Amino acid sequence: MQEERLDLLNLREFDEEAYKKESEELLEMRMLTAETATFARTEGGFLSLKVGDKEYKRVRVYLTFPLTNPEEYISIREATEKAKEIGMVESLSVLPANQQEMLREQIRLRYFMPEIRKVMELKEEYGYAYWYVETTYGVCRFTTHMSNDAVVTLGESRLLVTDIDGNRYEIPDFYALTVQERKRLDLFL
Amino acid sequence: MKLLFTLTGEQLEALSLEPGEKLCYCVPVDLAYELKEGADLTRQPARDVAERYGKDSFLIVTSKRLMTLEGKRVISNTDLSGCEKIRCERQVGCGIVTVTDLEQNESCVARVSMRQIVRTSYAVRGASAIVKSIKATGGPENAEQITSLEYETYCEKCGRALPGTSKCPYCEGKMDVFRKFMNLCGGFTGRLLLISTLMLVTAAMSMLSPLIQRNFIDNALADGTGTWVDYALFVGLTFAILIGTIAIEVWKNLACVRLGSELSMSLRSRLYQKIQMLSLSFINKRKPGELMNRISRDTNQIRDFFQDVFGSMFSVLLTMVASLIVMLAISVKMTLLSLVFVAVVFVLMKIFRHRIHVIFSRQWFKSDELSNSIQDIISGMRIVKTFGTEERESARFSRKSMEFAEISSKNETFWAVFFPILTFLMGGGTYIAVLLGGQDVLQGRMTLGELVQFMAYSGYLFGPLDWMTHMPRAVMQMVTSLNRIYDVLDEEPRIKDTKDSREIQIKGAFRFEEVYFGYNTYEPVLENISFDVKPGEMIGFVGASGTGKSTMINLIMRLYDPDQGRITVDGVDLRDVKIECLHSQLGVVLQETFLFSGSILDNICFAKPDATLAEVIQAAKAANAHDFICKTPNGYNTRVGEHGYTLSGGERQRIAIARAILNNPRVLILDEATSALDTESEFLIQQALDRLIQGRTTFAIAHRLSTLRGADRLVVINEHGIAEMGSHDELLKKKGIYYGLVTAQLKMAEGRPEAEDAGEGAAAEAAGA
Repeated sequence: MQEERLDLLNLREFDEEAYKKESEELLEMRMLTAETATFARTEGGFLSLKVGDKEYKRVRVYLTFPLTNPEEYISIREATEKAKEIGMVESLSVLPANQQEMLREQIRLRYFMPEIRKVMELKEEYGYAYWYVETTYGVCRFTTHMSNDAVVTLGESRLLVTDIDGNRYEIPDFYALTVQERKRLDLFL
Repeated sequence: MKLLFTLTGEQLEALSLEPGEKLCYCVPVDLAYELKEGADLTRQPARDVAERYGKDSFLIVTSKRLMTLEGKRVISNTDLSGCEKIRCERQVGCGIVTVTDLEQNESCVARVSMRQIVRTSYAVRGASAIVKSIKATGGPENAEQITSLEYETYCEKCGRALPGTSKCPYCEGKMDVFRKFMNLCGGFTGRLLLISTLMLVTAAMSMLSPLIQRNFIDNALADGTGTWVDYALFVGLTFAILIGTIAIEVWKNLACVRLGSELSMSLRSRLYQKIQMLSLSFINKRKPGELMNRISRDTNQIRDFFQDVFGSMFSVLLTMVASLIVMLAISVKMTLLSLVFVAVVFVLMKIFRHRIHVIFSRQWFKSDELSNSIQDIISGMRIVKTFGTEERESARFSRKSMEFAEISSKNETFWAVFFPILTFLMGGGTYIAVLLGGQDVLQGRMTLGELVQFMAYSGYLFGPLDWMTHMPRAVMQMVTSLNRIYDVLDEEPRIKDTKDSREIQIKGAFRFEEVYFGYNTYEPVLENISFDVKPGEMIGFVGASGTGKSTMINLIMRLYDPDQGRITVDGVDLRDVKIECLHSQLGVVLQETFLFSGSILDNICFAKPDATLAEVIQAAKAANAHDFICKTPNGYNTRVGEHGYTLSGGERQRIAIARAILNNPRVLILDEATSALDTESEFLIQQALDRLIQGRTTFAIAHRLSTLRGADRLVVINEHGIAEMGSHDELLKKKGIYYGLVTAQLKMAEGRPEAEDAGEGAAAEAAGA
């Protein structure tokens, strides 16, 4: 019995190279440039990619520093469950203009974080704060919990607001708001 | 959650439904996603994100098509018979609906924010069910109708956020709240009556004392005709009333406190029982801690209400109304003037209260932040020290501390200035009374006693004003808590015995028939799982982390029911077996070994409290736990769990194994049961387990494949489904995923590729010598 099983398991056949390659691939910084990679739009509204002799029908575009460096180190991943990384784009500017635009389209699709331009109303009622704001996406009403996590500061004057559903809103510069609006936000600061 | 919204007639027309085409799901889409017809893909996309909210947009699933509608314009129109897959993909802060056609081309048809993502994924599931039905039978007739038990986050009527309840505490009919309240007080009617009577008595007594005062002043003091008898009588009466009021107040308060605690106690235990009965899917849907809050915080909220508010609510209102009547009887003019003043003070109080609330919540935020950063730094002390960043951290802390100090000193100043002003205003009513009333008295239009009485009553009117501004909030808080509690109490457990449930003696044949399952609406974990297990067979589940191995086991244990398909045991659907009967025949050792507070003995006997000591020792020995238990100071009586004796991970796991063994179960479930053990202990226990699994159906999960060497069959799970199934040898011959896993583990154990002899030795061991 033992012998049989050993026959089946030929360790010499074990493709160690494949594993080594995979582990190296994990460590490697694979940069995609205009020379190595070509992005193209698909009918369905996504992005396809050609790298060397490999073609991907659809790739995903992930930002690695969405809040601080949204146009740098963009991770391009397979559109599968595992979302394996194909490579990174060091900076959008290394790509031709029309491909830059394609990536921006995909980033717009994946990331939803409207900027709040105006705080028209903010009132507190029994543990919830009700906001009425104007955003880059239009006028909107939403609700946050009255807790510390609802509004967090990113840096000196930048605020990130998270509502009860998990939508995020950004106030790029707190001091650009009017005195009145800032006063309304007092509740959280 | 609502899945079929109503469209306007014009919108319905725009869909141009074919005859026989039925509207199945219609959900709002709140982000605009535009279709640009005839677009040149090299220059502009065919579909693109528009940075605006969707206006009047819906995702519509009919029995034939999937559509997106904006206003009266159909943005996308997909024939379901041409679909391979429809999915709701979660993005960052939003979600998209993608359709994969038969040629594997994917397209995005809609984009929604997090507010609509849950609803959308339900609709997508509904569409997928139709696609499946069309594939299987050619028509949508056999599609499963998807419904959602999840709660809305916003009230449809008033737009307020729902505090985790199914109904809005504001819009819900008063009768419903009243019913809950009566239901709550059900067993306490006598106590409530007593409290109400006491409230009436206190109100009456407090009304009495100014009356006596007035009589005394007018009849004894003012005209100087009073004797010492009048004097003694007045003092005696006033004193008696005072003592009486205090005594009754104390009695009433005690009754309220007792009522409050007993009510909250009974609610707490009812909640606890209910939560134990509810299925895991209900519990998992809620945030951790939220249910705990319902047990502790919400019930306390109810207690506080009865103690602080309920007890005085009616007596205060009663006193106020009665005072007002008497005041009107004395002087209409003065009363109206005071009322104006009452209104002014009330409004001031409200504003003041709001202001105080704002500045103090700011202070709380800051103090929270401060304590958080202290905790951060202290728990990360080793890291701070090793990286030598002490100074930077102290500077950061000092800054936070300074901010806090600034705010609290500002707040204290505010208090110090405004509070006296407010007190002055509150007393202001009396000044007006004296001013106007004094003139009347001097001119003989009013007696001195009446003036004193009036002033006393106006005190009753002003006194509780502060409290009155607080009362609506307190009542609302109580109603909210009540709703949250009753949401749990009214919830029907999804996994429960029906009248058809029966007890069976399990032999151990299991069968999965096209089982689909996911914890979350938008993420399936298992898809189309079908396989058979013979009685006494040992099945090993293999696969990468997060592929659904533990989920399989959760389904076998019936902690959840499959979304589609069924699991049978000995030919009986698991849903038709009495839950208790099923669980009493399962022996379970899970990855996270949880020990209850109590002795080791209690923990081992958990499933079989009447086991003899000899049986317990036997089980502990079999689990290789006897030795270390003997070494603990109190042997089997050693307390473990919270605040108890600390056991290592391996020791806890061995106790859990003993617990499973003691029950002598028909079916054994081992989820990484030996993962926390060292190799030697694992080897020893493995021997014990090998004996144990003889003749029992066993399901085991292990990352260390050597643990599964006894398995009759291995099921490799990959990408939500069964990738490979068969015996160890069969799978090795197949050279698929399993083969890769085994060789990788062997190589890892071996370490050096060139030492081939040693490698084959290890191979023999791992392959099940």
